[in-house]
Amino acid sequence: MNRLLNKTIRPLTLYALLVLVLSIPVYYFLVDYIWVNELDKHHLNIKAKIEQEMNALPLSDSALQHTLLVWNAVNPGSSFRETDASQVRPDSTYTQIRFDDFQQDREQFRGLRTYIRIHGRTYRLLLETNMEETDETILAIAGVTLLFFLLLSGGFILLNRRLSLRFWHPFYDTLQRLRSFNLEGEQNISLPQSDVLEFNELNRQLEELIGKNISVFRQQKEFTENAAHELQTPLAIIRSKLDILLQSSALSKEQYETVEAINRTLTRAYRINKNLLLLARIENRQFSERETIDLSLLTRECLELLQEHIAEKQLQVSTDIEDGVYIRGNRVLAEILSSNLLLNAIRHTKNGGNLHITLHKGLLRVRNSGSSALDPDALFRRFGRASTETPGTGLGLAIVQQIALRYDWQLNYTFAAREHIFSVRF
Amino acid sequence: MKILIIEDEPELARSMADYLSGQQYRCETAATFSAAMDKLSAYDYDCILLDLMLPGGEGMSLLHELRRLGKQDGVIIISARDSLDDKIQGLQTGADDYLAKPFHLPELAARIYSLIRRKQFANSNHIQHGELFIDLLSRNAFVNGTEVPLTKKEFDLLLYFIGNRNRVLSKSILAEHLSGDFADMLDSHDFIYAHIKNLKRKLSAAGCAPYLKTVYGSGYKWEE
Repeated sequence: MNRLLNKTIRPLTLYALLVLVLSIPVYYFLVDYIWVNELDKHHLNIKAKIEQEMNALPLSDSALQHTLLVWNAVNPGSSFRETDASQVRPDSTYTQIRFDDFQQDREQFRGLRTYIRIHGRTYRLLLETNMEETDETILAIAGVTLLFFLLLSGGFILLNRRLSLRFWHPFYDTLQRLRSFNLEGEQNISLPQSDVLEFNELNRQLEELIGKNISVFRQQKEFTENAAHELQTPLAIIRSKLDILLQSSALSKEQYETVEAINRTLTRAYRINKNLLLLARIENRQFSERETIDLSLLTRECLELLQEHIAEKQLQVSTDIEDGVYIRGNRVLAEILSSNLLLNAIRHTKNGGNLHITLHKGLLRVRNSGSSALDPDALFRRFGRASTETPGTGLGLAIVQQIALRYDWQLNYTFAAREHIFSVRF
Repeated sequence: MKILIIEDEPELARSMADYLSGQQYRCETAATFSAAMDKLSAYDYDCILLDLMLPGGEGMSLLHELRRLGKQDGVIIISARDSLDDKIQGLQTGADDYLAKPFHLPELAARIYSLIRRKQFANSNHIQHGELFIDLLSRNAFVNGTEVPLTKKEFDLLLYFIGNRNRVLSKSILAEHLSGDFADMLDSHDFIYAHIKNLKRKLSAAGCAPYLKTVYGSGYKWEE
């Protein structure tokens, strides 16, 4: 992925290249035009000066012939040739590239072919000036252009690095703060003020958005807690009425069974409610006090409490529990974490299945036999139960995950060798 | 035995009064903070059931007031708030027990029974019940002086039955009493059956009369 700053540089550089390349012929034609124009003007001036000065000299015919002979021999960029008056043509100019004997090089000349009269005689006058060759001019312009292009693009890159980074600094700053933002922390982030209108607007909108999110999140949590709390009383009333109903002497066996069925279902509703409350409380960080917990002892005690259920399902249990494994955390939460993991394994193992518990420093692993892998995404989701066979509260593993999240413990599920493996790394 | 039920939910108060009245308790109810305060200061009770959230005030202030008056009535807090903090605060303020809503009435009855026992026989904590003698401190049961070797769960069940004499206790109520937080994880409550069977066998082997009866096929009752 390209950074934003690099993206702007490329089209700018390409554009600069295009403009500079186009400027080469433009420069050339311009330079050539000025060059030629000036030379032509210069030649006309020389012609007028020669004509005026020569006629002003009191030269005899032979002296004039002699002078012109010397003039032509020295060849200072001009030559005379006597001609008949009837041969006079309008002035003409030309550009010529030829080998120059004197300079021993290929040279380009601009010339003026004209006719003047000196003391009554007509001469054809050729005026020539050496100018830079076309190809060399183009080469020189191209060279200079290339140099400027390199200066430009180098400047772009440098300026982009220095200036743009400074201009975009508030943006990257905002990005950084957004990255470290955590909705569950419920702390609105304060984004820095900048002197750029757009960044300020962006930050303002972001702060508003985040503020709304936090308040919605808070309301949702409060709602869960309040709803669960409000349900406790009606559940308590129903339960008490069932207990009274059970004492009725006119109860038939069928009615008794019905009351029992309602009782069991009510217990489930109550557990779901209780677990929702628990989740809300963990999220609200209500279990703040921490202590050092002997996890080895706690795991053994938890297994002991569940012994009856293990025996009832005739599970084959093997343990590898290291002594003296300690963690830092809230005792209630640690108990809930290990008992939920164990209960989950016991509940979902078929009668006569295997259960293996490993506890080492920094690792608690519960393995139980199963037939196929479970969807790891649904597994830890609230009410995202992976199997519908055994009706639990659908919250046990969500609570485990919430506790793990709370303490930055890594909770993992894998399925291998026909075993579900849940592990927690402390 | 006089019990004061301080509970603002009338239906719940009625259920508790209904159930407990059948246990030879005399129940009075108070639905508001001020009504409760009036009764508390005027009379003595063997046990007070205290809801923490009341119209007109916090149940906890009633508890403070009660202890300030120097009254030694037994207090069981019954609250929908069941976090550890609430429990600790309640017990530190001078409550004798803490029961989270929703609870089974037999659970409440058993707690009241045990509380009144403790208050009445502060020094010799035991229950004499016909040929049955239960030592609550050492957690031993005797029939005609012979010790009955009971497991922890069987002993718990025995106490639960004694606290709910002549009451039908269903399998799910017993299961919940025994396994507490794990009760919902059980796919069946059949393990109760084994415990009851063992308890019955051990009691009758020691010469105890067959008080423990099976009703409706899967419910139980301690009948006297």
